[in-house]
Amino acid sequence: MAEGVVIDPTFWGTRQSGVAALERELTRLRRAQSAHARELGRPIARASVLNLIVYAEREEHARRAARSIADLALRHPSRAIVVVADRGAREGIEKRIEMHCRLPIADGARLVCYEQILVRARGDVDDRLASAVIPLLVPDLPVFLWWTGTPPLGSRSFGDLLRLTDRLVVDSADFARPEVTLPVIARISDEARGRFGLTDLNWTRLTPWREIATAFFDVPAWRLFLDGITGVSVGFAVDMDGRDIHPSQALLFVGWLASRLGWRPLEALAPSEAGGLLFAIARPDGARIMVRVRPRFERGLDEGDVSGIRIKATAARQLAEFAVKRQPDPRHQTATVLLDGERRWERTMPLPSPAIVELIGEELSILGSDRTYEKALDTLVELA
Amino acid sequence: MIFGGSGDLAQRKLIPALYNLALQRLLPATFSVVGTARKPLSHEEYREELHKAVAQYSRTRPLNEEVWRSFAEHLHFVATSDDAGYDELRRTLEQLDFALGTHANRLFYLATPPPAYKAIVEAIGEHRLRGETGWARIVVEKPFGHDRASALELNEIVHTVFREDEVFRIDHYLGKETVQNILVMRFSNGIFEPIWNRQYVDHVQITVAETIGVGERAGYYEQAGAMRDIVQNHLLQLLALVSMEPPAAFDDKAVRDEKVKVMRALRRIEGEDLSLNAVRGQYARGFIEGMPVPGYREEPGVATDSRTETYVALKLWVDNWRWEGIPFYVRTGKRLPKQSTEIAIQFRVAPHQLFSRDALAGLEPNALVLRIQPDEGISLRFGAKVPVQGIRIRAVNMDFDYGASFMVDAPDAYETLILDALRGDATLFTRHDEVDQQWAFVDPIIKGWASSDSAEGPAVYEAGTWGPAEADTLIERDGRKWRKA
Repeated sequence: MAEGVVIDPTFWGTRQSGVAALERELTRLRRAQSAHARELGRPIARASVLNLIVYAEREEHARRAARSIADLALRHPSRAIVVVADRGAREGIEKRIEMHCRLPIADGARLVCYEQILVRARGDVDDRLASAVIPLLVPDLPVFLWWTGTPPLGSRSFGDLLRLTDRLVVDSADFARPEVTLPVIARISDEARGRFGLTDLNWTRLTPWREIATAFFDVPAWRLFLDGITGVSVGFAVDMDGRDIHPSQALLFVGWLASRLGWRPLEALAPSEAGGLLFAIARPDGARIMVRVRPRFERGLDEGDVSGIRIKATAARQLAEFAVKRQPDPRHQTATVLLDGERRWERTMPLPSPAIVELIGEELSILGSDRTYEKALDTLVELA
Repeated sequence: MIFGGSGDLAQRKLIPALYNLALQRLLPATFSVVGTARKPLSHEEYREELHKAVAQYSRTRPLNEEVWRSFAEHLHFVATSDDAGYDELRRTLEQLDFALGTHANRLFYLATPPPAYKAIVEAIGEHRLRGETGWARIVVEKPFGHDRASALELNEIVHTVFREDEVFRIDHYLGKETVQNILVMRFSNGIFEPIWNRQYVDHVQITVAETIGVGERAGYYEQAGAMRDIVQNHLLQLLALVSMEPPAAFDDKAVRDEKVKVMRALRRIEGEDLSLNAVRGQYARGFIEGMPVPGYREEPGVATDSRTETYVALKLWVDNWRWEGIPFYVRTGKRLPKQSTEIAIQFRVAPHQLFSRDALAGLEPNALVLRIQPDEGISLRFGAKVPVQGIRIRAVNMDFDYGASFMVDAPDAYETLILDALRGDATLFTRHDEVDQQWAFVDPIIKGWASSDSAEGPAVYEAGTWGPAEADTLIERDGRKWRKA
C-alpha cells in the first residue's frame, strides 16, 4: 500500500482512535439500527456467530474479501476483522495501526447486520499486529483466520494470530510453492494437537472431482478395478504461456487417492514436460502405478483448476479406463467408462464452479478438522 | 463535605457525578458541597477548576451551562492545612445550615490518599464538624487498610467519631448497574437459581482485565500490587455476589450478612496450597493495541527490581453446601490485551451425547456470561445446529446488550453510590466484618509471597498478552482453560 493512500470511509467506515472508541461507535450504530427496527415493530438481532479475521496485504484483496463477507453475512453473520498489512519493512515509514468500523446491513429487510472492522497497518508491525487484533475479538465465539496469499511461516504475527484461531482458512491456489507450505501448516496444526483446524479452499474446489471418482467405484461391477489401478493422470489448467504453474489442486487429488487406497511412495516427485510431474507409486500389493500430473491450456478456467482425470485399471483380465473431463463451456463435466476400449457408460453433469463466497461459506460451517484432507496432505508430504 | 476536594477522584468522579445528579433533578434543593484541601483556593478558583473537570469527565456532554451555574453556586472551598482551617470549615458549615435552613445533615467523603484518613477523622471529632441535630455519615474510599490489622485499626479510629451504621465504605464496583444486575438476575428470575449450584455448574471464572499500566500511581501501586488493588475488594465482591445465598430481603443487613457468610466460607490459601492455587505476574514491555508500552519495572516511580505483582490468578473454593467441589478461577491484571470485566458460569456438559464426534466438534459447554464492562450485558452460550445437511453443532451466543435494550446510558457507579449514601442506604457499601474477612483471605497469600521461601518473585508476562504461562497451567491442570475474553 503506497504512502498516502486514503482509505475510503464509505466502504470501511469512520476511523476510530482505539479499541474503546471503536466499540463505542459500534454500540452507537447498533443502537441506531435497533431504534430504526423498533419503529418498524421488529426487533433487530445483534447477529454474530463467529469472529472472522481476514489477512490481506493489499487493499483490493481486502475489499474483495469484505465483499465476500457481506455476501456471507446472512448465513454466517460475523464480526469481521479485515487486516491490511504492508509487510515490507521500509525505512522511514512510521509504524502505525489504524482502525475503522462499520455496521453494514446484511439483508433487504434490514433485520440483520454484521460488524466490519478494518485494521490497517503500515511499516513493519510484525511484532505488534496481534495486539491490535486480539482486543477486537468477540469473546467466546470461534475464531476463523482467513489468510490470503502464502502464510509467512515463522513470522510472529502469523504465529500470534494462529494461537487464537480455531480454524485457519487458506487457499493453496495462491501459494507460490504449495508443496512446501501446505505440509508445514499441516504439521503446525498437527502439533497444536487439534487446537485449530486447517482448511484449504482448493480442497473444497476438488469436491466434485472426488465425488465422481468415488461414484465410479460405487457400481458393484466396477468396484474390483479399485484394487487394480495401474495409472492415474490428472490435468490442470495453465495460462497460454504456461508461466503460472499451480499443480496443488491436482496433487491434492493424487494425495487423496493414495491416502484412501493405501498407496506407498516409490520415488520422489520428479518434474516432467512443461512443469508437469511424472512418478511411480506402489499399490498395497506392490504393483507400480504411474502417476502423471500435467498442465494444459484451457480457456475459461482459473489457473490450477483440475481439467480432467483419467484412471486406468485392470481386473479379471479386463482393461478399464475411467475418465472425467471438463467440457469446454466449462460448466459441465463428462464422465466416461471404457472397458477393453469399448465405451460402456457416459454421462454429462453440471459442474458447480463455486465462487469463493460459497467455498468460504461451506468452510465456515465446519469447526472440526478435516481428517480426510489432512491424510491426503500427509501422503503428499511422503511423496515429496 | 469532600476531603481532597480538588484531588483526582473529586475531579474525575465525584463532582461530575454530583453534577449529573443535579442534571437529573435528583439532588435536594438545599444541597451544597464544601471541598477542602491543603492548598488555598478561592471559591471562584475552585468552581473554575471543577468546571473544567466536569466539562472533561462528565458522562453527559456537552456541559449544560445553565444547570452548571446554579450547581456551582452551591460549591464552596475551605483550605484545611491547620486547626484554624478546620474551625473555618465548621463556621462555613454552620453558615450554610443557617442560610439554607438545613438540619445539619452532613455527608463526609474521604477522597484523600489513605494516609490522611486518620488525621481527618480525628479533626472531624475534635472540631465538632458533625452537626448538632441532623445525621452524619462518612464515606471512606478503598483501600480500607492495607492488611487485616491496619483495617481494624482504621476501623477503631473511624468508630471514635462515627457509628458503624454511619460508615459507608465504598467499592465503586458495587455501584455499577451490571453488578447490581447480578443480584437482580439471580434473585428476580425463576430459571437461574435452581441451576446455580454444584449439581449443574462445572466452574466459575471471573476476569478483571485492564489494558492500562500503573501510570501515575506507581507510588501507591508499588505498595499495594494487584492483590490489594483489585482482588481484596472488586474481585472478592464479584465473587460474593455470584456465590452468595439468597438474602431474605434486599436491605443492607440481609444482603451483607449473606456476603459475609460467603467470605467466611472461602477456603484460605496458605502454605503448600499457595504455589498450586495462586499465580502472580508482572508485565514486561510489549504492545497494547499496536502501540509499544514499557515494562512495569521501567515505569517511573517503580523500583528496577520491584517484586510487586501486576497480575494475579487464583483458584478458589467456597466451602459450603452449594459450591462444594466447584472451583472458582479468578484473574486480574494490568496491561492485558483488552479492557474487560466479566463473570462466566460454565455449566456441566450434557450427561449423554447423542451426536457423533464430528458433529460435536464445534460444541462447547453452556456458559452464562455476565459482562460488567465494557459493553454491559449478559450472554448465554449454547449449541445450535448449523444449517447444512446432516448434523453439525456449533456454539452460538444469545446476547442481551444492556445499552441496545434500554436505549439509555447506565448511570455512573458514583452517582448511584453517592445518592445511596445521601439516602442512608448502605446495601451497596462494604461493612466492617466484610472488609475484615476479605483481608483475612488476602493476607496469608501476600505473606506467603513475601516470605523467603518463595524467592522467585512474580512470573513475567509480556504486556498485551493474557498473563504468564503459569496462569494457564493453573487452570489447564484441571483440564479446563481460560475463556477467550
